[in-house]
Amino acid sequence: MDEKVLTRHFGVEGLFRIEVYRGLGGYKAVEKALKEMSPSAVLEEVKKASLRGRGGAGFPAGMKWGFVPQNVPKPRYLCVNADEGEPGTFKDRYIMSHNPHLLLEGTIIASYAVGIRSAFIYIRGEYEAVALRLEAAIAEAYKAGYLGDKILGTDFGLDVVVHRGAGAYICGEETALLESLEGKRGHPRLKPPFPASVGLFQCPTVINNVETLSNVPSIVQEGADAFIKKGLPKDGGTRVFGVSGMVKRPGIYELPLGTKLRTIIFDHAGGMKDGKELKAVIPGGMSAPILTADEIDLAMDFDSLAGAGSMLGSAAVIVIDKETSTLDVLKAVAKFYSHESCGQCTPCRIGTSWIHKIVKRLAGGEGEPDDIDTIIRLAGNIKGKTLCPLGDAAALPILSICRKFRSELEGYIPHA
Amino acid sequence: MPKIFIDDRAVEAAQGQTVLRAAESAGIPIPHFCYHPAFAPEGSCRMCLIEIEGIPKLELACSTVVREGLKVQTKSPKVVEARKGVLEFLLAEHPLDCPICDKAGECKLQDYFEEYGLFRSQFKESKEKREKKFKLGRNLILDRERCILCTRCVRFLNEITKTEDAGILNRGIHSEVGIFESEFIASNYSGNLAQICPVGAITDSDFRFRTRVWFLESRESVCPLCSRGCNIIIDSHPGFPRLPRGRRVYRIRARWNPDVNSHWICDHGRYGYAYLDEGRQDRLVWKKGSRDTGLSWDKAAGILSGKIQGLMLRGKSQRIGVILNPNLTNEELFLADRLFRKGLGIEKIYGAGPAPEKGDDFLLTADRAANSRGLREICPAVRAPEPKDLAELDLLLLFGHHLGAAERSADLLKALEKVEVKALFVSHRSALDDFVDFVIPVPAIAEKSGSLTNIDGRAQPFSAGLAFEGDGLPEWKALLDLAKELNVDHRYFWPLDSPAAVFRVLQEEIPFFK
Repeated sequence: MDEKVLTRHFGVEGLFRIEVYRGLGGYKAVEKALKEMSPSAVLEEVKKASLRGRGGAGFPAGMKWGFVPQNVPKPRYLCVNADEGEPGTFKDRYIMSHNPHLLLEGTIIASYAVGIRSAFIYIRGEYEAVALRLEAAIAEAYKAGYLGDKILGTDFGLDVVVHRGAGAYICGEETALLESLEGKRGHPRLKPPFPASVGLFQCPTVINNVETLSNVPSIVQEGADAFIKKGLPKDGGTRVFGVSGMVKRPGIYELPLGTKLRTIIFDHAGGMKDGKELKAVIPGGMSAPILTADEIDLAMDFDSLAGAGSMLGSAAVIVIDKETSTLDVLKAVAKFYSHESCGQCTPCRIGTSWIHKIVKRLAGGEGEPDDIDTIIRLAGNIKGKTLCPLGDAAALPILSICRKFRSELEGYIPHA
Repeated sequence: MPKIFIDDRAVEAAQGQTVLRAAESAGIPIPHFCYHPAFAPEGSCRMCLIEIEGIPKLELACSTVVREGLKVQTKSPKVVEARKGVLEFLLAEHPLDCPICDKAGECKLQDYFEEYGLFRSQFKESKEKREKKFKLGRNLILDRERCILCTRCVRFLNEITKTEDAGILNRGIHSEVGIFESEFIASNYSGNLAQICPVGAITDSDFRFRTRVWFLESRESVCPLCSRGCNIIIDSHPGFPRLPRGRRVYRIRARWNPDVNSHWICDHGRYGYAYLDEGRQDRLVWKKGSRDTGLSWDKAAGILSGKIQGLMLRGKSQRIGVILNPNLTNEELFLADRLFRKGLGIEKIYGAGPAPEKGDDFLLTADRAANSRGLREICPAVRAPEPKDLAELDLLLLFGHHLGAAERSADLLKALEKVEVKALFVSHRSALDDFVDFVIPVPAIAEKSGSLTNIDGRAQPFSAGLAFEGDGLPEWKALLDLAKELNVDHRYFWPLDSPAAVFRVLQEEIPFFK
């Protein structure tokens, strides 16, 4: 049995077309789920598989589905979070463009398990080509009877709509995504209530990442135990690592959860580019705290990285070499979050902008001795105090960069 | 009733109440900017963060709902640090123009900085440059540098007027309150925006640069400009040397009353205060032939009661008329009824007030008199006088400058001219002054005490928000003086020495007011 779940058939000519996908065993999981399993049996299997959310937070998918109340008279919705905006992350784009039917199949099964009749794929606007491919795949699925009313002759029906975002990082935050999908400004909502009970159009809503849902067909088809065996007991399956930066072979690598970071960089991605030396790694997209070259023997799973003070996040591995200035890294991080802060809450709106202003001044050669301390203090005043996770996403990498590379950063300050 | 602990103090909270409200009702204020009791919690200013036992992160007091046994710390070092952090952020991008800011003195940012901050700014960068005088509405100027983006204004327009005129434009540090390019906020409730703005971002061009708030004296009153009876605060300059009849009132603000006007008043009531200082009738005059003679009220009361008594003695009580108006207080209407109708047996008691105008579907009513309901309940038989009614009179006591239906004013004036003795109790100068023999200045509602019955039948007591400066007296006093001069039921009238005493009797005698 191939240990890959999502990228197993990548490279097969025309995989994005339904007949090729079906030829490789595609949509068998939908058939199995709809015809042989009850919705609750599907839910139980996904719970058993320890499938954790692939968007960044790692929340158990089955548990999330289980929160959706079944006894309210309102419709329920599924939102597929395809707003892949985390810098360094490009795994969902690959999954959707190479294997759109895998995502659709996962979407159908998840909807069946939760009793959902309408699903929306919220895709970032820049992914226009991917959106077109998804729409073509959806049209094929309708034609083949996997979408629409009475799927495969059962009483279950589902409609899927692709919705393009308009270019805001914040709309990848699940409640901002809901606002945006409702046609409003993409501002995160106050929680509670959580989307599972009050979500899209005030109705119970499940929001899952593309990669999360794409794992579901395999869980149904091969069973939860097989899925767990591909990863870890508490963290089932594989992860699609997106490796970028100063490595020989940047790209996506689907590997078991728990694979060592060193293995990913040096075995799979071919090691450092010629003449480059490893300095640091951002292990889970830009919002993950940075790791130094000494810390790469970590296992890449949610708990191990959290234990090391970082996070697996979107599993986007950004490899930084010694010639790259840490100040440039800090500048890129500070600029990004200052630019993408939605502006709703005080610490994130003003804090990210203030830090960016300091870093710009530092980079302009006008740093002052207490600047690094100020940045650390300000990031501390953002961390844990904002309305949505974007504040932490900005504060944590900035704090880790300032703490772990303090002496280098101070070198940029005249007379420090 | 969940029992919770705030700063180690046991507090009984109401089911479903937020920590912020439970704390407030226990006398523990929690600082906040974006939270406003009239709106759903927004949670964006992050000022109300509190520590809850068992939760590692700080939580919002404005949106956390109480549950049994909840243990909250509102002043722990962690909380204080967080508040300082929020203040430091807000002040980093806030101009230090308090010396020229109209909000200074009642600005939450200023108050909280004094309470939690007083630190030196570490902000060495340049502040964002933004529009300082953006015309947001008829009377509203938005200073975007001062704005802390609490979105109270946006939410007021979304949730209260439901006109959705404003929103947040742009993103991040460039976020700003904005409106549609071609239209500014023209709602009749726009003035509330300046009042709910916690900082000096939205100022009122009616108040801007006119005075400093610490010079103002704030007194509670009831708005008399329509029949809703919104609860208000009158802000006036109490004691500056000024020209006679200089400007006293600087601002009218809404005062919270959940049963009448919530936190709001309309612009008609908010900005329509100029009459309190303009066109006032402040001299008591006896127009004897072609000459105006000044005289005291005592003398005037004596002359008037003499004339009334003369007519009564000659059995001509039907030649005496009274015109009341719906801006008199309940107490005054009651005294007039008990004195003229019951005491003297005068039948010709009429009522006339301002013509109705267009109301709206929120607070402003079509009826622009403050106490029409009181008039109806206390003097149910009164109606507007016709010219022929006036033609039958020898003596008329006219309260207010409304003679009857506006479209008949020419005929009414003609009839009035023929009445032998006419006394006018009035707060403002009007054309009617030239047609009467006595002009007796009376205070405006804002200058006297009593109660008014609003459109929904709610009697609302109020006391003077301003001093009365004319050489007349309130109508209730004038009526009591007349009762004394005329020797009418001394035992009934003498204990009625204040509006409150009158109201107690009114309550006993008129079931509606029980």
